[in-house]
Amino acid sequence: MSEAAVEITGLKKSFGSLDVLKGIDVRVERGDVVCIIGPSGSGKSTLLRCVNLLEEPTGGKIVVNGTELTDPDVDIDAARTRIGMVFQSFNLFSHLSVLNNLMVAQRKVLKRDAKQAQEVALRNLERVGLSDKVNAMPNQLSGGQQQRVAIARALSMDPDVMLFDEPTSALDPELVGDVLGVMRQLADEGMTMLVVTHEMQFAREVADRVLFMDGGYVVEEGPAEQVIGAPQHERTQSFLARVLDPTHQGPTGA
Amino acid sequence: MALSKRQRAKAFRAGQYALLVVVAAVLAVVADWGEIQRSFFNLEIAAEMFPNAITVALKNTLVYTALGFAFGLALGLVLALMKLSPVAPYRWLATIYIEFFRGVPALLVFIALSFGVPLAFGLQFDIYSTVMLALGIVGAAYMAETIRAGIQAVPKGQIEAARSLGMSQGRTLLTVVIPQAFRIILPPLTNELILLTKDSSLIYIIGLARDQYELTKFGRETLSRSPSLTPILVVGLCYLLITLPLGHLSRYLERRTGGKKISTPESTGLGVSA
Repeated sequence: MSEAAVEITGLKKSFGSLDVLKGIDVRVERGDVVCIIGPSGSGKSTLLRCVNLLEEPTGGKIVVNGTELTDPDVDIDAARTRIGMVFQSFNLFSHLSVLNNLMVAQRKVLKRDAKQAQEVALRNLERVGLSDKVNAMPNQLSGGQQQRVAIARALSMDPDVMLFDEPTSALDPELVGDVLGVMRQLADEGMTMLVVTHEMQFAREVADRVLFMDGGYVVEEGPAEQVIGAPQHERTQSFLARVLDPTHQGPTGA
Repeated sequence: MALSKRQRAKAFRAGQYALLVVVAAVLAVVADWGEIQRSFFNLEIAAEMFPNAITVALKNTLVYTALGFAFGLALGLVLALMKLSPVAPYRWLATIYIEFFRGVPALLVFIALSFGVPLAFGLQFDIYSTVMLALGIVGAAYMAETIRAGIQAVPKGQIEAARSLGMSQGRTLLTVVIPQAFRIILPPLTNELILLTKDSSLIYIIGLARDQYELTKFGRETLSRSPSLTPILVVGLCYLLITLPLGHLSRYLERRTGGKKISTPESTGLGVSA
C-alpha cells in the first residue's frame, strides 16, 4: 500500500499567459474516491485532464500506478489504457454501435480477440444496466444511457483508475440518478475514482475525500463530511452556500 | 373601388398565368411541328443510336468517371492529410498542388497527359490510364479541400475519447476520424462525382476507337452522319440518367446527415472551462 494510485506534485498548467493550475499536490490511494469541487474556471477539469495527459502540464510531476506520465519518453498510449476517462459530453463514437464502441479499443489497442472483447463488452454493458442496447447506435440513446455506455466503454479496458469530468452536467435532471447510481456501484466495488462534479450529495455520500479548488489552487481538502459539511475556508463556505442553496440571498444582497 | 394589397397581388399573378397561356398558344399555332420533330427529336435517328448509346457510350462514361473518381479520392485524401500535417513543407506542397489544379482547365490536363507527356517523355498511356489520371488529378484538387474540411468537422471530443482509450494518433485517424469525416462529406463528394461525370467528356480530345466512345463523343459522331439535334438530345438525356439520381442522392444524404451530424452536446468541456 506504499504506492499511491495517483500522485501529483507541483502541477502547473498555463494556456498562453493564463495560469490555470498554479501548483497542485494531490495523492489518491488505491480504492479511494476523490471528488473535486469548485467554481467554474477554478481549473478542476484541467487538473483531471492532466491526469491522462489530454492536457500537457507546464510543470510538475504526475505518477499514475508507478508510471511517470510527465516523463517525455513515456509510452502515453500504453499508460492511457490503464486510465479510464468519462467526459461531460459522453463522446461515444457516433459511427459505431454500442457494442463496437465497447470493442474497438479492446481489439485495436489491447489486441484482444473478437470473442474475448465481446465477452468483456457484454459484461460491462450489463454492469451499467444496458444489455438491451447492445446493437443501438449512440444517437438512439438518451443522454443518461450514452453516459452509462461511455462508462462501460472505459471499464472494458480494465483500468486501474477512472476519471470522471462532470459526468452528469450535460444530462437532464431526471437522468442524473442512473449515472450516479452506476458510479456509486463502481465505488463500492473498490474502483479508484477521481471525479469532477457539482453533485454535492453524491460527493458527500460516496467520496472518501473532497478537494475544493479555486483560482488554480487546492484551497481545502479532507473527508467529505468536513469539506462539504463544515468547511473551514471562507471561499469554500461561500461556494457551498451558493451551490447548496442557489436562491440564497447572501449578506451582501443579490 | 380600390383593391386591397392582397387582391392586387392575386390579380397580378392571374395576369402572369394568362400571359403564359397566350404565348404558348401563339407558339403552338405558328410553329412548324414537323420541322421541329425532324430537327430535335427524330425518332428514326434516336432508334438507330440504341442500344449502343447505353451499352457502349453510357457504360464507358460510367467506367471513365469511376476510374477518375477512385484515383481522385485516394489522391485527395493524401493531399488533405498533407494539408493538415504538422510538417510545413507537406502543407506547402499540398497547397501548391491544390491551387494549381483548381486553377487550370481540366481540358489542359487531358491534353498534357495525352499529347504532352508522350512527346516529352516518350511515355504513352492507354485510354483508361489517361482518363483515370487526368480526371483524378483535377478531381483530387477539389476533393482534398472537401476532405480536409470534413476531417476538421469531426468533433474534438471524438478524438479525445479515442486517445483516452490508448489509441495512437494514427490509429485514431484511421478508426475514428476518417470514417466520421466521410460521413460528413458524403453530400459534397456526391456533387464532385456529378462534376466528374460531365468532365469525363473531355476525353474526346484523344482519338478514341469506336468501342471507347463515351456519351459526348458518341453523340457528336452520330451527329456527323445525321444532321439533326436528336443525337445531342439523346446523349444529354443519358447524362441526366446519371446525374439526376446522384443529385437526389446528394440531397437525401444532406438531409439525413444534416440534422444529426453531431450526436453529443459538444459546446463545452474543452480547455479552461470549469
